[in-house]
Formats: sequence, C-alpha cells, structure tokens
Amino acid sequence: MTTSASPTIPGRTAEPAPAEQTHEHRRFRLRRPSPWHLVLIPISFILLFPFYMMVVTSLQTEAQTRRFPPLLTPPTPQWSNYATALHAAPFVRFMVNSAVVALIIVVGNLVLCSIAGYAFARLRFAGRGLVFGLLMATLMVPFQVTMIPEFLIVKWLGVHVWDQLGIDHLGALVLPTLATAFGIFFLRQFFLTVPVELEEAARMDGTSRLGVLFKIVLPLSLPALSTVAAITFLDAWNSFLWPLIVINTESHMTLPLGLTTFQGSHDTHWELLMAGNVFSLVPMLLVFLIAQRYFVRSVAATGLKG
Amino acid sequence: MATATTAPPAAPGTGIFRRLSRSEHAVGWAFVSPAVLIIGIFGLLPILWSLLLSFQKSDLLTPQTPWVGLQNYKQIPGDATFRLAIEHTIIYTALFVPCTMLVGLVIAAALNRKVRGISIYRTAAYVTMAVSTINEALVFMWLFEPNFGVVNAGLNAVGLPQQQWLSDPNEALYVIVAMTVWGWTGFAVVIYLAALQGVPQDLQDAASIDGAKRFTIFRTITFPLLSPATLFLAVWLSINALQLFDEVYLTTRGGPLYSTTVVVYYLYDQAFQQFNAGYAAALAYVLFMVIIVITFIQFKVGNRFVHYNR
Amino acid sequence: MAEVEYRKITKRYPNGVMALKEFDLTAADGEFVVLVGPSGCGKSTALRLLAGLDRPSSGEIYIGGSPVTKHGPGERDIAMVFQNYALYPHMSVYKNLAYGLRQRKTPRAEIQRRVHEVSDILGIAELLDRRPAQLSGGQRQRVAMGRALVREPQAFLLDEPLSNLDAKLRGQVRAELKRLHQRLGITSIYVTHDQVEAMTLADRICVMNRGELQQVGTPQEVYEHPANVFVAGFIGSPAMNLVPATVTDGQVRVAGHPVARAPDGHTDVVVGLRPEDLVVQPDGRSGIPVTVDFHEPLGSHVLVHSVLGDASVPVVGEPAGIVVQAGADVRPAPGQRLALAAEPRHVYLFDASTGAALTRDGRAQVIAS
Repeated sequence: MTTSASPTIPGRTAEPAPAEQTHEHRRFRLRRPSPWHLVLIPISFILLFPFYMMVVTSLQTEAQTRRFPPLLTPPTPQWSNYATALHAAPFVRFMVNSAVVALIIVVGNLVLCSIAGYAFARLRFAGRGLVFGLLMATLMVPFQVTMIPEFLIVKWLGVHVWDQLGIDHLGALVLPTLATAFGIFFLRQFFLTVPVELEEAARMDGTSRLGVLFKIVLPLSLPALSTVAAITFLDAWNSFLWPLIVINTESHMTLPLGLTTFQGSHDTHWELLMAGNVFSLVPMLLVFLIAQRYFVRSVAATGLKG
Repeated sequence: MATATTAPPAAPGTGIFRRLSRSEHAVGWAFVSPAVLIIGIFGLLPILWSLLLSFQKSDLLTPQTPWVGLQNYKQIPGDATFRLAIEHTIIYTALFVPCTMLVGLVIAAALNRKVRGISIYRTAAYVTMAVSTINEALVFMWLFEPNFGVVNAGLNAVGLPQQQWLSDPNEALYVIVAMTVWGWTGFAVVIYLAALQGVPQDLQDAASIDGAKRFTIFRTITFPLLSPATLFLAVWLSINALQLFDEVYLTTRGGPLYSTTVVVYYLYDQAFQQFNAGYAAALAYVLFMVIIVITFIQFKVGNRFVHYNR
Repeated sequence: MAEVEYRKITKRYPNGVMALKEFDLTAADGEFVVLVGPSGCGKSTALRLLAGLDRPSSGEIYIGGSPVTKHGPGERDIAMVFQNYALYPHMSVYKNLAYGLRQRKTPRAEIQRRVHEVSDILGIAELLDRRPAQLSGGQRQRVAMGRALVREPQAFLLDEPLSNLDAKLRGQVRAELKRLHQRLGITSIYVTHDQVEAMTLADRICVMNRGELQQVGTPQEVYEHPANVFVAGFIGSPAMNLVPATVTDGQVRVAGHPVARAPDGHTDVVVGLRPEDLVVQPDGRSGIPVTVDFHEPLGSHVLVHSVLGDASVPVVGEPAGIVVQAGADVRPAPGQRLALAAEPRHVYLFDASTGAALTRDGRAQVIAS
C-alpha cells in the first residue's frame, strides 16, 4: 500500500524564465573567498620571509644595512651591488663550474643508471642478486665514512692516471657520483613496471638488448628519468662538503663553495653578501620552479615507499 | 642453449645460469659494469678502506700509515671534545626532528584543501627544498645578526632583551636548529601532503557521520593513517640530523667555545685540519654504528604503531 | 517518527553546475525510497545533502520533523553506507562498528551488546577481530552495513552499496537488504544507477535526470505509467522502444500502421512500445511493418532486433529500431518482414517536443489500486 505523495510530473525541459537567469548570475558573483586564505597567507609569509630579506638587503647601501631596527624595504635600490659582488668574486665562473659539474653528473647518472637499472630489472646474469645487494648497502653508509678514502683515491687517480681526475680538478667533483645507487634503485623499480610483452615483441623483431632499452623502455620512462635528473641535479648543485674537501683553487670552485670564500672575504658587507646569495640562489630556484613536479614526485615516492 | 642433455650435474644455485648462453651473462655484466665500477671504487672500496684506516695512523699527506690496531678506538671514550660533540648532536637531533615534523604536518594539513590558488601556496612551502646550505646559512646569519638583524629588532619591539645568537655559546646551537628546520620544512611538507592526499575523503566523511568532530577525526583517523610517513620522516630526518655539518661549518666553525661542535664537524676537523685521518675514520665508523642502531630502534618501535594501508 | 523531507532543495556548485533544481521529496517513516538515474543526475548530491556532507544552495531538509539543514553530519542521527565502504583500515571490525557509538559516549556494555547483536544479524560475528584488509568484498560490505545499523539511526543512507560487488553476490546481498528492511523498518534512502535494484528494493522510486526529479511512484506505477520519455526509456529492461510517429486522419501511425487514436491538439508524437508487449502477428494479419536485423536467444525468450518499415513504405531519415521480446521458439531470419501489434493499453504516447506523457485512447492514467 503505497502512499502516493503527489507524483511530480515535470518532464519540462524548457529553459528557466529570464528573471531566474539573472538571479542566478547575481548569486554567482557574490561568492566569498575561502577563509583558509587567512591561514595560508601568514604561513607563506613566514616561510618566504628569509627570501624577502635577502633581496631587500641586497639592494641597500652599506650604511642602510647598518641601521637598527633594520629597514624592511630598500629606500634606494642599489642594483650596483650585484655588479660589485660579481666583480669581487668570480661568481659567473662559479656558476659555470656548478652547471658543468651538475650537467655531467646528471647525464652520467641517466646513462649509467639506466643501463645498470635495466640490467638488474630484466637481464639474468651470474651474481646479479649479490651485486645489487652490495650496491644498495652503500646507501646505508653515511658520507663521512667514505669521504676520507674517496679523497685519497681521487688524489691517487690524479697523480697516476690523469690529472683532470685529481684533486682540485673537474674529474674529482664529477667522478664519485657519476652513478649512484639511488639512481639504479629508482630506475630499476620503474623498469619493473614496464610490461615485459613490449620488450619481448621487440626482441622477436630482432632488436638487440641495448636497442630495446633505448627504443622501447626509455621513451616510456620519461617521468622516472626526469625525477632522477631533478634529484641528481639538486644534489650536485647544492653539494658542499665534497667540493670543500677536494677543491682549493678559487677558479675551480662550485657555487656553494665560491659563495663561502666570498663570505670569508666580505664578511661584514651584508649588502654584497646578500647580493651574492641571491645571485647564487636564482638558478636553482628557477630549475626548481620549472621542474617542481618532478622534485615533489621524487620526494613523495621515496617517502611513501617507506 | 643446447647443452641441456649432456651438461654435468649443475652446482646448486647455478642450474639456470648454466642453461643461459654465455653471451647473456656477458651482456648483463656489460650493462652494469660502468655503474658498478664507479660505485665500487667510490662507494664499496672506501667503506672497507675506511675500516682499515681506522686501525692506522694517517695524516693524508705522507704515504706511510703505520698500523696501530685498536688505539684509535681506545682513544675515543677519553676524548672530551668528542663527548661534547655527541652531546650537542643529540640535543640538536632531539630538537630538530620533532620540530620539523610538526611544522611540516601543520603546514601540509593547511595545504590539503581545494582553495583557489592553492598551488601557489604549495610552491611557497616546497621551495625551501631548493635552497643550498650556504644560502640558508648566510641568510639566517643576517636575520640573527646581533646588531642589525631582524630577529633582534623584533625582540626589541616587544620589549625583550636582545640576544647574541650565534655568538652566544648558549644560543648558537638553537639558531642552527631554527635554520635547519626552515631548510627542511619543504621536504616534510611534501611527504606529509602526499600522505594526507592518500587518506580517502570517504573515511573522514564516515567519521563525521559517526559523530566525530574535526579534531577527533584528525586524531583518530587521519593521523594514524599518516603513520608510515611519520616513521619515514623520523628515520630520514634523524639520519640527516646525526650527520649535521654544513651549517655548523658555515656559521660558527664549531664555536663559540665548541658549543656547536657536532660529531661530523669534529670528524672533519680531525681529518682535514688536525691531520688525524685514522682517528677520524674510527670516529666515522662509530657514527655509522650509532646511526644503524638508532634507525633500527626507530623501525622496531615504529612498526608497532604504524598502520600500513593494505 | 523518522520522516525525511527535502523541501525546495537546490544545489549549485562553485563552477556553476546546477546539480539539483527545486528538489522536493518526502519519505515516510519506514519507507524505502530509491533515487535512480544516470550518472550526473544529482542523486548522489541529494544523498550527500541529506547526510550533511554538503550544504544546499537553498531549501531545507527535515529529519523526523525537525529542520537539520544547519546541522553537521554527526548531529543528524543518520547513518550511511558508502560505495567503497569507507571502513577504517587501521581498526578491527569491532572497533569499526563501535566507533560511532564511542563518539556518542555510549557506555561500554551497551556498545558490546549492540555490536554483537548486529554482527549476529549480518553473519559477521567471527570477523570481529580482523582488519578490513583481511576481509573479502562481500564481508566488507556487511561490516559497512553493520556500522550503520549499530547506530540505530532515524534514517539509513545507502550510496550505491552494491556496485562494487560481482554479479552473483549482488543478487544475494540485494535479497538480504530486502529482508533486513522488512525486519527493521528503518527509513532508507538508497541511491543507484541500476534500475533493477531500484525496482526490486524500492517502496517508491524517484527517477532523476540532470538534477531534476522526473517521476516519483511505486515501481509498478513508474513501470506502467511513465510520466515522460525519460522515465519510459529508463525503467524496464530491455528498454522501451521509442519511435517517431505520424498523425494522419485522427490516427497515430507508426510506419504507416495505425496504433492509437490521436489525442486532441497534438500532431508531433512519440510512441512507446515495450518489447515484452509487442506480439509478432501471424502471417496475413496486419501490424507495424518491421524488417529483422538479428536476434538474441536467451533461453526463456528471444530478443528480435529489427528495423522499422519495409521497402514499400518510404521511411524518412534513419530507420528507427524496434526490439521485440518473443517466445523461445521464434527464430526469424535476417531480412524477414514481420508485422507487430500491441494491445491499446500498452501503447504509450508522448509529446515529441516536451517528452511528457499523453493520455491515450481516452483512458485516464490510473493510480495502481
């Protein structure tokens, strides 16, 4: 026994009357912005404040930096500070060095870790498990344990093999991290998810192993490769302790190291220090903003895999 | 691949490999050799060498490195500076890790909503990841400058006395905590935000219908489901905290009065400035063992509380 | 007294989409009401508004006679079963069931009693110590229902609870739901896109499309007296045939064959004929001319797919399709010409522009007795 509440018989698909339409428009525009902005803005402000102060100070004169309480805006923006800083220390040189080192390391990792990662994922060879395990073990060991012997090895290589590989040279900066266990691990994980059928089909068509890697697997692995590239670049660019140990000559220094010596020689000229600081921060910041996605993804991936 | 019927009985564990043609092994090794060579020379070899070095006396300059057995290790307990370094490292870690996690969690929770322009706020939170230690150190030295820095100006404005910060042995370490927390916030936010986004909205809806209020939902549902991320952060941040070096070198060189000397700084000093490389290697191994133990403990304890989805 | 009422509810999303327009519905105490319609029709929105998980743009919601529009989900004394179950993965089944009661500070003994009672009814008593991850899909579904039952709410909200189950399980659980409702008599609002579920479970069905209520009625009413072409085409499986018709000499004709008397004032008419109401005429008798396309034997009957018209009657535009449900022994060959007929009371007429149902043959629409 059903109670028949008035069965509505609409079925009207006609447009709403014009009056209703304008009413809807008006309601649309009065939408309030979310109250969460009140929370997010102060948080962002606190987080970004150091950047702000960096830029502001870099545009002040020396006298202005010595005011207390400090000025929160540059009254007469001194763009010349940047020129002065760039003259006082070879910042451009530092940046070029950093860029070269980082690029070589990134390319090296992408190539070597792809090949090795692929082999660990798909090829079978004697000792595969053991070697992989040993490589992963190196991830557990802190840098400080290995840095002294690494120093000695690099020194030996410079004397006995090729001086470019030795202390105070490009090779020393580049060689130890040209391939990383992290890169191999990450890429192997990814390659394991590529459907084997694709590779098998290519092999049946006669493609060599290397060919399969380059023509089939790598094109499908661009996100993983980008992620490895991003993380490797960040690490290489911001690396400090190792360059500190192996580089002595100013003209061979990378940016973080160069900035430190600049600090040493100008240590109370805050406006110049900040100019140098901003200058050396900008490239990495740009790379980060452009490739943000990949940085975030790589960090999240390591975190969620636990 | 035609050796099957006449092959001699295979040695245990190598059966399948015998059946592979030799070229397959060769290809595999060819592929991994370059990377293995690099990591072997610059990763595995140094690990062993370091161990050997810890039993020797070396100044990194002269080729003679006489064997001294356990002497380096025996020296460690009596080393007062090292004990100080340990103390500082522990204090630092105990402050840095929880602070960074808390800040990261709070900010991630605020960022976990669909507000217009949220991606800008998220970028602002992530961006500290791109900052190198020297950038971070320089700007914080400026902010905490005793005579001209913003922080002291702020204290002044609210009537509190000004501090010497990095020049004050009682405060320098805490300034370093502040600067490193800032530097690592981006990382913590990324981890927590990703984890938060993995908590299905349905669960929070269900809890809401069940009568739980906002904070209760967070405490009983959301936070427990974040536990894998929490464990990961605790472990990762601890490992990094125990290896603190850059910021100390760049700001205080371990001072004033050794108040910021931490283990790795002491290690560096011993190896490259005091030329006691053997002793430094021994210290490094001790640090290594400590890191392993602490990580192990964290995992054991953590696994009792961590709930993995699925 | 757990009557549920939607009064003039509208819901508009910030991006401008109008999810619900002037939605009015009253579910009586103990009634099982099903909201059914294609995706995007607004049924899930309506449910979420009732749950309090979303606020309406305008209108009021009443539960048990009191307005709850301003109340949060926890204050409405309702319980919900989610499509994906939403079980708390880090808690045991017992704790999942007890959670809602703990939030309301129910005493321990009472919680135990209720949890055990409900888990007995649902047959999940042995699972109380397990975690959701250790349960099968069907078991999880039961725990989700248990969590809702344990609260003894005024109204039960179900959001497509069967759609994640495989076909066989779905039938079983559907029957259990029916039994449960008969036994417990809690007012229930059930959302689904599957009209079979709607027909079998509902006391009353609400057919929805694009945010608007199309028709509300008992399953029988909605089946026998669809209010418009949408409802006619949505309810019933296989779907009702809806074909264009011409009106000449006061007769409505399909492919030239008269099927009904033309209602006054309408010249543009759509005719609805259910496959199960069409009869294949024996040779010689006249009927709607169709040409067979193919047939699907289903064991107990055959579905004949055909195309309207034959070569001698010119058809304008795309020929419409007709599906006939015939006896199991009918085996028409492709290309064979058939004549179809239906009883006058099974011929539905709809206005071609508005889609609304028209009275036919003078027979008023009768509400089921």
